[in-house]
Formats: sequence, structure tokens, C-alpha cells
Amino acid sequence: MGSRSSSEFPWRGALALLLLVLAGALAGGCVTVRPEEREYLADPAMTFGSEGTAGAQEEHVLTNREGSYGAGDVTGGGCGCN
Amino acid sequence: MRVQLTARHRLLALAAALAALAPTGARADTGEFDAYSTLFYEFGGPLEMLVVNPRANLRVDPADELSLNASYDADIVSGASVAVVDAPSTEVDAITSATQLDDFRSVISGGLTARSQYGSIRGSYAYGFESDYRSHSFTIGARTDLFERNTTFDLSYARGFDEACLLNQPRVQEAVERRRLDSSDGCFDDENVDRTSEDIDLQTFQGSWTQAWAPIFVTQLTVTAQLIEGFQSNPYRAVWLGRSAAQEHHPNTRFRYAARLSARLWVEPLSGAIQANVRAYRDNWDVRSITAELAYEQSIDGAVRIRARGRYYTQGAAAFYSDNYALMPRGQYFTGDRELADMESFMAGLQLIWQVTSGTEGASLGPFQTFRLVAKADFIHHQFPNFRYGGASVPNNNSIVGTLGVDLVF
Repeated sequence: MGSRSSSEFPWRGALALLLLVLAGALAGGCVTVRPEEREYLADPAMTFGSEGTAGAQEEHVLTNREGSYGAGDVTGGGCGCN
Repeated sequence: MRVQLTARHRLLALAAALAALAPTGARADTGEFDAYSTLFYEFGGPLEMLVVNPRANLRVDPADELSLNASYDADIVSGASVAVVDAPSTEVDAITSATQLDDFRSVISGGLTARSQYGSIRGSYAYGFESDYRSHSFTIGARTDLFERNTTFDLSYARGFDEACLLNQPRVQEAVERRRLDSSDGCFDDENVDRTSEDIDLQTFQGSWTQAWAPIFVTQLTVTAQLIEGFQSNPYRAVWLGRSAAQEHHPNTRFRYAARLSARLWVEPLSGAIQANVRAYRDNWDVRSITAELAYEQSIDGAVRIRARGRYYTQGAAAFYSDNYALMPRGQYFTGDRELADMESFMAGLQLIWQVTSGTEGASLGPFQTFRLVAKADFIHHQFPNFRYGGASVPNNNSIVGTLGVDLVF
């Protein structure tokens, strides 16, 4: 066990996830939140990554104490406020 | 003393780099400076661990379409670690024979972001150094907004070139004969024949999709894939194998995958937001984990925000993990790393943010637009059902994390 060749990358899983994202994004394209309706979405409490440096430092601590890594916050809330 | 002088010189170099980025000749339209410090204290008997992590970051926007940033952060580590995991002893157990650990790690980084009406691209570089480890990391990324900015895609790729110090043992053929490193003295010194180094190459891909579904509901899906190739053991840690102890031996290749779904829901009657995250992780060492997090953030009078949250984490052990390699070996690899054992953790905490904006209710901040004070505290409890030092359970399974920071927007 342990080492695995790059040919064992889970391509099928990655492809399924990509298709899911594309389908979701197309569905999301049918949703329209108008600019004047984005007051709450622009609030820092609704914005991903708004923890900024404090959030990054916490992730640094947890990554060093757990066996897992990745999929941290990506800044932004899709609100068009940046 | 040598370390202190070196650190001082590096701080001076950083100050010079920050000064070069500061708006001297060209006037910056906007910018931000933040300084944060996080304290991590893990307590329990002789294995206490204290890590102080100060960080300063400066961002200037010389034009609407361009941001430049530079930052410095450090890890100042003091504590004790177990040198030989599961060492048999009739008089002292592995914990009371723990060795003192002191380390000082610095990371200097800089980057830029260019924006247009279609999205943004960014690039950054970071250099990390400490007595026994060096790293170079390059990151590029891009993001774009679609569908009237209700949808955002973000992609990034990071490449890391790290180097770890080891004990030089050219005659050793088998991992079970390899001795651990007992000190960082002489590391990265070409004239010291007792030390050598091994490379670690890292590639990290990350993509995210952020979607506003309604005026009060937004989600984010983030996926990360990482490939690490090279030396991934702790050179200081040895594992008792029955007749002798050897430096722990991990596989040289690790594929790591993580996916996280986050959602935020605005609760209009309370003027607050419910925040929920679920993350799944697995890798080719067979470590699997689930993380669930729930938080509530409340705004009070627009100037104060308070956030309470809880987090649960559960992890399955690596396929080659054993609590006793003398009796239960697991193939060619062996580890004394508790982060590769079965694990559960519970975390709860509060965050308080106080923000003053110039012009609001007559507030004057001089050259600054916004002043923000952030205070944060969390308590973490870990459980290791099948990790022991000899016959002793992990004593340092509780920790506190505190952060204090200031943001200045100008």
C-alpha cells in the first residue's frame, strides 16, 4: 500500500464532479438576484473568506494538527460587491 | 544568538521590501494593512506545546485594476515532543523522556492581482525558511463572475519546492536501519557531512464555484487535489520496531483530495447569518475524514459583529498506521505520527469584530477609511482512540487558539 501511480488518479470521480458543477452552474444561470436585492449577500457574514487573516491562521493551526488538508474558503460571495 | 541575529536581518529585509511596495512616488488610491497574532497552546503534562504565529500584510492598489501585496509571518514554536514513539522502558515511559523542541519559521511572500470587468488573475510567491526546512511556493489563479455576477468560478494552481534536512547515512540500505535526526545543527551547511537534505515537490489544484441562489442564500463548492512527492516523514521522530528504533518511514507519494460545500443563510428578523460547512477528505494513504461546522454571526449596531461556532472532525487512520509495530507491523511503512491515527476533535469558539468607518456617526480616522479590531478564541479537544505512547494515552489532547488582529484600510 502507500505509493500509487498517477494513473490511479480518480478521473471518473473528477469527471462526475465537473459535470455536477457544470449542471449546477447552468441551473444557477437561471437564477437572477438583481443588484438591488444584494444587500444581505454583501454583508460580511454572507461573504466566504471574510475571516481573512484570522481564518487563514486558524486553518494553519488545524492543518498542522489533523491529517487532512484542502478545500478552504475562497474569498467572495458571488454578490457582485467586490 | 546566531538565530536571533539572522532573524533580525531577515526582518530588516522584509521591512525594506514592504517600504518598496509602499506608495512613495506613485500615490496609492486604496490599500490595507493588517497585523495579526495567533497563539496556539496545547496542554497536558510534559508534552505542552506553544506556538505563536504573528503575521503582517500590506496591500496597495496603485490603480483600480491592480493590487500588490507583501506579507511576513512566523511560527515561534516551543514545547516537547516524543523522540521515540512506543519505546519500551521499565523505568521511564516515552512521555517523560520527551525532548525539548524549539523552532522559528519565517515566511515572506508577495503577489499581485490584476482585475478587469470580466474577472481577475493573480500570482504570488512565498519563501519559507527555518533551521531544518526550506520552501519555495508559486501560485497562480483566476476568477470570473458570470450570470450578472450571481455565479463566480475560481481556479488556482500552486507549485511548491521544499527541502528537508536529514541525518546523512549513505551506508544505510533499509529504512529500518535509518536513525533519526537529533538536532538541526549543521543543516543546509555544505561543509557538514553529517547532514543531507531531501526534496519535496508539491502540486495543488483548487477550484471553487460560488452561487447566489436567492437574496438571502449563497453556497460555495470547493474542490482541492494535491500531489506531494518526496520525503514526508518527520526526521526527528523514531518508531520502536521490536529490536530497535528507526526514523519513521512514510510513502514518498501522497495524493490528497478534499471537497467542501458551504452555505450561508441570512436570517432577516435577527440581522444575522447561519453558516454551515461540510468537508470530505481522503488520500491514497487511506486517511479519510469528515468535517462539519456550524456557526451563527450576528451584527450589532453595524459596528460590532459576534460569531459563535462549533466544529466536529473525525478521521480514519492511514493504512500503514499501527499503535505497536513490534507486535503488529503494517507492511514496509511505519509512523509515530498521531495525525495519521484515528482521531476525533471537537472545537467551539467565539469571534468578536469591532469596526469603525470614517465618517460614520462623526468618526474621524485621519488618513484611514476603516479601523477593524478582531478578537477570536477557540477551544479544541482531541480524542485518539488507538494512539498511545507506550502504554500511556495522549496527555496533550486539549488546546486553545486565540487570535488578536487589527485591520487598517486607507
